[in-house]
Amino acid sequence: MKLLEYKAHELFSTYQLPCMKGKITSSVEELKAMDSIISYPMVLKAQVQTGGRGKAGGIQFAENSEELWEKAEFLYNLTIKDLPVEKVFAAEKVELTTEMYLSITLDRKQKQAVLIYSPEGGVDINEIAEENPDKLIKVHIPPNEGLQDFIIQYVMDKSSVPQELRTDFIDICQKLYLIFTEYNCLLAEINPLVITDAGRMLALDGKIDIDDNALFKHEDIRIFRDEITDNPLVLEARSYDFLYIPIQDRGSIAVISNGSGMIMSSIDLISKQGMEVTCALDLGGGATSDRIQEALRIVASNPKIETIFLNIFGGITRCDEIAKGILQSLDSMHNIWLVVRLEGTNKERGLEILKAAGDRVTQVEGLNDGVKILGQRIAK
Amino acid sequence: MSFFVDKDTRLIVQGITGREGAFHTEQMLVYGTNVVAGVTPGKGGKEIHGVPVFNTVLEAKEYGQANATVLFVPPKFMYGAAYEAILSGIPLIITIAEGVPVHDMLKLHHLAKEKGCRLIGPNSFGIISPGKAKAGFMAHRIFMEGHVGIMSRSATNCYETVFLMKQRGIGQSTCIGVGGDMIPGSPFVDMLPFFEADEETEIIVLIGEIGGGEEELAADFIKKYITKPVVALIAGKNAPKDTSMGHAGAIVSPDGEGSAENKEAALKAAGVYIAEGTEDLVAIVERIMLAKGEK
Repeated sequence: MKLLEYKAHELFSTYQLPCMKGKITSSVEELKAMDSIISYPMVLKAQVQTGGRGKAGGIQFAENSEELWEKAEFLYNLTIKDLPVEKVFAAEKVELTTEMYLSITLDRKQKQAVLIYSPEGGVDINEIAEENPDKLIKVHIPPNEGLQDFIIQYVMDKSSVPQELRTDFIDICQKLYLIFTEYNCLLAEINPLVITDAGRMLALDGKIDIDDNALFKHEDIRIFRDEITDNPLVLEARSYDFLYIPIQDRGSIAVISNGSGMIMSSIDLISKQGMEVTCALDLGGGATSDRIQEALRIVASNPKIETIFLNIFGGITRCDEIAKGILQSLDSMHNIWLVVRLEGTNKERGLEILKAAGDRVTQVEGLNDGVKILGQRIAK
Repeated sequence: MSFFVDKDTRLIVQGITGREGAFHTEQMLVYGTNVVAGVTPGKGGKEIHGVPVFNTVLEAKEYGQANATVLFVPPKFMYGAAYEAILSGIPLIITIAEGVPVHDMLKLHHLAKEKGCRLIGPNSFGIISPGKAKAGFMAHRIFMEGHVGIMSRSATNCYETVFLMKQRGIGQSTCIGVGGDMIPGSPFVDMLPFFEADEETEIIVLIGEIGGGEEELAADFIKKYITKPVVALIAGKNAPKDTSMGHAGAIVSPDGEGSAENKEAALKAAGVYIAEGTEDLVAIVERIMLAKGEK
């Protein structure tokens, strides 16, 4: 999960990684109160889970109280890509001479972390890679041995980090690596890493992406994940250990299955026939009657959904149980057509039970058969 | 003789006293797998379906001359259990748990390589050599003996494939779940030499999906070293970017890295047949077999 900037700033502060003084606010009043807490000039940054914040006016500056009042009202009434601004991070504006880039991220192919440094930063890493590929230094960090001193030395020599800044640079690299490992990060990025007027090295902005599967180690962050999830269906599904995946705003089809691979295959084949899948739900293992009912209810509560393709393929899944779950759900799902593919134990009995559903439920023999039936009724 | 699991496999089940561990131990025994011992720390001295339970992998290994272990252990405890298995010198370690922390897997991946262990998974259905033995949780009744070797990141896509194969009378030599998490213990490229050398395998099937670069790495290897026909399916062509599709590893990054197009292009350039879906995949396999006069 990607942390908002202020949360990354909090982590940096906890690990005493040098960064500017700043505070998070949750209301206009709280932001105005920064007047006596943070010195001017001040930078005010809207905290939203989307890119393009700067262009949308999400970053403002205040030179004095009057400007702070005015900008506070402006920011808390701002919507960025449909997301209302609910938090604004206020910080001292830093006068700087140089902007650099530093990150530790995951190299999936090499199965190692990689430290990336560029003496030119402040813009997106892909832009740096395109415009100045020669200046980008990348070194792998062996996971069992960690960030050894020689690795940092190599980076500093290759990119000619000035002598007087080397102590700071080593310190920042080590602290960033500590955050990366202790918080199970997939990305720990400082961009820009700056040199201030006063010759100090400082993390001006940070991005942290934490491995969702390691959140059990970080209760503080896990709570925060639910707070920033804006899709109520994702949240509700999560409470049942389902995964609800919004695919796109268009279409009227939902796919429910008991495996990630099958969900992707279903979406691929349906899309290939010119139809659009709006959302999907992964039941995970152990499809039972109760769980099927909850899953159907959650998906059907998306107002766009008119058709649900339920594709269950389990070795030990009890098809009769699933069929009962489907029957019991029908009354609460109006105007929804179900295309059902069942494969597993007691399949015949399950199919027999489903006959009672009449034309609300169409039984299909396999994935391709299901897609064909969908296409006959929906496509074009 | 199959590679990895067959009649010579002497298997340990770690986490044997858990609900899943106990259930699948029985299933594996029914299928004819030689399960020699189980391990659950603190439960040593028990017996599960006639299999003795020990506190440590080391003792279980000594008792049963074990040469493989399968881990029915929750993701939180996977690191400790696999670490113990590696240091106890078990040459084949199969991990089932879905959603193992990435940092745990980075360490295990490299440790296993250093110690010369073969680590399969996590988020794997296991390994099955139909008619001989299985180590994992796959529903064995849909598999049948034959000459197609399958390696898959997804359990359900593999099931669907073998299910359709069975309808056409096509069987498998060995099926391996390389796993759906972000960091596989052994990716496709590590499996390819075994399938190439295996005399029972005539056709290799690769079932990949979006995310990461393992299919691309496999494509490089296939181009250089693989002489057997390879058929591939990449799932997730229509998945939105920057969204995990269920498997932790199935995610296309915002800049498009890990996309299905990249993977299909790389595999195609390596002479691999690309299938649109599972049904198409099986049809291609059947065509190759007919052309070789094997069906």
